[in-house]
Amino acid sequence: MTQRRRHPTRRTALLLGTAALAGASLPRPSRAAPFSGPVIDSPFFAERVAAGTLPQAAARLPANPRIIDLAQRGRQPGRHGGNIRLLMGDQRDIRMMTLYGYTRLMVYDDNLELVPDILESCDVEEGRIFTLKLREGHRWSDGSPFTSEDFRYWWEDIANNKRLSPGGPPQALLSAGEPPVFEILSEREIRYSWRVPNPVFLPALAGAQPTYLFMPSGYLKQFHEKHAPKHELAQRVKEHRVRDWGALHERLSRMYRPENPKLPTLEPWRSTTPLPAEQFVFERNPYFHRVDENGRQLPYADQVTITIGTSALVPAKTAAGEADLQARYIRFDNYTFLKEASKRMNFDVKLWKRAEGAYFALLPNLNAIDPVWRDLNRDIRYRQAISVAISRKDVNKVIFFGLARESGNTALPESPLYDARLAELWTQHDPALANRLLDEIGLTKRDDDGIRLFPDGRRLEFTIETAGESTEETDILDLLKQDFIDVGIKIYPRSTQRDVFRRRILAGQTVMSAWAGMDNALVTSDMEPDALAPTSSAQFQWPRWGQFIESGGREGERPALAEVNELVRLYEEWRVSSTRDQRRAIWHKMLAINAEQLFTIGVINSTLQPIVVSNDLRNVPEKGLYSFEPGAFIGRYMPDTFWFDRPETKA
Amino acid sequence: MIRYILKRILIMIPTLIVTSALIFTVINLPEGDYFETLAAEMQAQGEKADMSRIEFLKKEYGFDKPPVERYVRWVAGLLQGDMGYSFEYQRPVREIVGDRLILTMMVSFATIIFTWVVAFPIGIYSATHQYSWGDYGLTFLGLVGLAVPHFLLALVFMYFANIWFGTSIGGLVDPAYLNQPMSWAKLKSVLEHLWIPVIIIGAGGTAGMIRALRANLLDELQKQYYVTARAKGLPPGKALRKYPLRMSLNFFISDIGDILPSIVSGAEVVAIVLSLQTTGPLLIRALQSQDMYLAGSFLMFLSFLTVIGVLISDIALAILDPRIRLQGAATK
Repeated sequence: MTQRRRHPTRRTALLLGTAALAGASLPRPSRAAPFSGPVIDSPFFAERVAAGTLPQAAARLPANPRIIDLAQRGRQPGRHGGNIRLLMGDQRDIRMMTLYGYTRLMVYDDNLELVPDILESCDVEEGRIFTLKLREGHRWSDGSPFTSEDFRYWWEDIANNKRLSPGGPPQALLSAGEPPVFEILSEREIRYSWRVPNPVFLPALAGAQPTYLFMPSGYLKQFHEKHAPKHELAQRVKEHRVRDWGALHERLSRMYRPENPKLPTLEPWRSTTPLPAEQFVFERNPYFHRVDENGRQLPYADQVTITIGTSALVPAKTAAGEADLQARYIRFDNYTFLKEASKRMNFDVKLWKRAEGAYFALLPNLNAIDPVWRDLNRDIRYRQAISVAISRKDVNKVIFFGLARESGNTALPESPLYDARLAELWTQHDPALANRLLDEIGLTKRDDDGIRLFPDGRRLEFTIETAGESTEETDILDLLKQDFIDVGIKIYPRSTQRDVFRRRILAGQTVMSAWAGMDNALVTSDMEPDALAPTSSAQFQWPRWGQFIESGGREGERPALAEVNELVRLYEEWRVSSTRDQRRAIWHKMLAINAEQLFTIGVINSTLQPIVVSNDLRNVPEKGLYSFEPGAFIGRYMPDTFWFDRPETKA
Repeated sequence: MIRYILKRILIMIPTLIVTSALIFTVINLPEGDYFETLAAEMQAQGEKADMSRIEFLKKEYGFDKPPVERYVRWVAGLLQGDMGYSFEYQRPVREIVGDRLILTMMVSFATIIFTWVVAFPIGIYSATHQYSWGDYGLTFLGLVGLAVPHFLLALVFMYFANIWFGTSIGGLVDPAYLNQPMSWAKLKSVLEHLWIPVIIIGAGGTAGMIRALRANLLDELQKQYYVTARAKGLPPGKALRKYPLRMSLNFFISDIGDILPSIVSGAEVVAIVLSLQTTGPLLIRALQSQDMYLAGSFLMFLSFLTVIGVLISDIALAILDPRIRLQGAATK
């Protein structure tokens, strides 16, 4: 730092340059120019700063922090202090903090554009050469510098280490099956380049569950075979009662699930509680890189506490005023109860929209093992008949008070890729048309109950399985029952347990299942269209085909429908596309095929999600979109900018 | 007597071996394992489960080995006091269970004492005042406690405790005290919450005990020796305490065998509804997610306690009631 202040002449600059190069291999803190603007620190740290155990706020911020202009976004700049209380149902839910914090190399902004967050900038050439630039003087929550060494450590010692990543680098880092060329340009610049474009790369960095390209190397090296002295490592392995160093490293390095309070982080709040606990306390990260327009270091709230209890009790506890911000484990059917309680307690219930392509969809299993059912499910006329047999209006009115949208499983109106024609395709309630289509297939014979018969004499009756998570699903199915009887089909709703449900579908034992549609329907052309083509065994309409693509042809079955193969082709084309126009065109084609072919039969979307917010908590948007991807639930609305309007919070 | 005890202890060994094999088999019966549950859960959330990662974890924890080998390793660990590793909590089972034992014992002890304090006087009263209004009234109350589902009672109690006294919903202590050391304020908060689970869990047990005590006592009260004692002028209180009450306690002593495990496992359903951080919900959660070492080792611990408890109650019975012969079959 002293070198900075001296205003180096050209000669000394040259000297310094060589010194810096020579010093690059040494593990020493990077020289940070302190942030020059006015900085307001939280009183939370006042004591530690006065005692000298923590540097001044200006020295903790990167030279070029990310400035969030709240007034410009129509929100109020706030004050420091307070504790946001959250309720969760399970220890594993502490990963919600990684979602709510939503601190990524790149993030989606309000318009779903990718903008740098941790990164100062990201330069893309030809869609295949990505140069990432870090902020000068950016530090981990323990004060250690965050530099390109952390990227090198991850790439060389983790992603390409046989013990820690037996499967090699993650999918997002493979383009046409090939890993990138990794280069460190300087202490703050890293480059990934591929031969062909890799459009998945940036969205993967901004994902709700991101692909991490870096890890706190300073802390983690003590657990790595390559860096730690053998006897010390053996000692640590023994202490933690694990098998070997790999298990130890893997356990202590989880960034997505903040289970290890010692692991440095870049998120707004850092965990201070080891597992297991009834209550997890997250404290503000003294080195967080965002400030508001007044130079006040974010987050505003000093603490977040997560109290773990039975998930079924969360609505009741929320109603008793035990949470300041609560959306998880609250469903639309709790709304009236919460609204009633909000009159007594100090909170408000906002209604956000959920962002699935379909909150409820029917998924005919194209990989059912029974050949008769499989062929029927693969017949487009049958899927069309099913779709128009459903009275979506009834579902909306009865279950959602008419507040949801009757739509197919496709992009939402809030998405730039929305096409009203596709959303309405085959969503009209037309039992006559359904009957005609079924007759056309040849299912003309009926038994005494009016149920259609297969040529082999079997009745057209089947169970629709659900994962048994909510009564809403079975309520909707009970409504659909009558719609289907009207066209000569008998259904039996059946709820099972989630993993049994999944296994039965993959094994082809389930003919039709009920599940949500696209997880993310707030799509842009830059997001991967993986939900529209078979890419995973967890796609219940074509689990075996998805498994085939997912495993690179080792497991599952090769897709056997022309339209599905076209989707696979389009998806692969997208994976190597270089321009946005190209990607948009592919997205439109894929959305159209999915809507026309009805591989998933969407019933309802844009259902409402109650968000309980303390009356004192400012900046929580009145309207929002609630989904895991791309919003990280409420992460995209930046809870670090939420603040308490209470006398005890400090200006 | 000593020979009898030794013999009983020797029989415990094969019992425990069979139990451990049963527990291991039953836990492994459902298809899949913890890692598949994990994958399913992640997908439900919209997260992508990386299948190669799941495979990696499976290997990491030895799930690629045949079940017999895993069983042997588990039992061998148990013998050395190693209860295995919990996948879900990423910590040794012993640490996880240990943290929750104190709370569980606190709730259980309070419940047992509550049950005794309520059930004994009522049982004695209704036996000595058979078919009186008091008898009918109190046994009716007891039966209501037995008949109303515990979880329902728990919800009702919780709701009114919150509305009337402002007690926080669920848990054993106000959230504000959660991570704080024990203090008077915290203790007060614990007591403020404790009565709900104690009454609810105790309600069923109380009713059962009242019935059993009443029936046993009534039996004794009609016997010759009691009638004679009363006829000869022994005061009613003393006559009751001296013999019939003692005789009617056999059922109570043999219950001790069940008390021991229930002290550590607590009442699962009530604990879940009230979201108490006791061992009950932990066990159920572990069984659901197939966190097999946590579930298996804890069940094993419970069966060990049951075996010990039965031994204790057998010995106590022999001491209490000399009519019980130890070598029943041998002397025939």
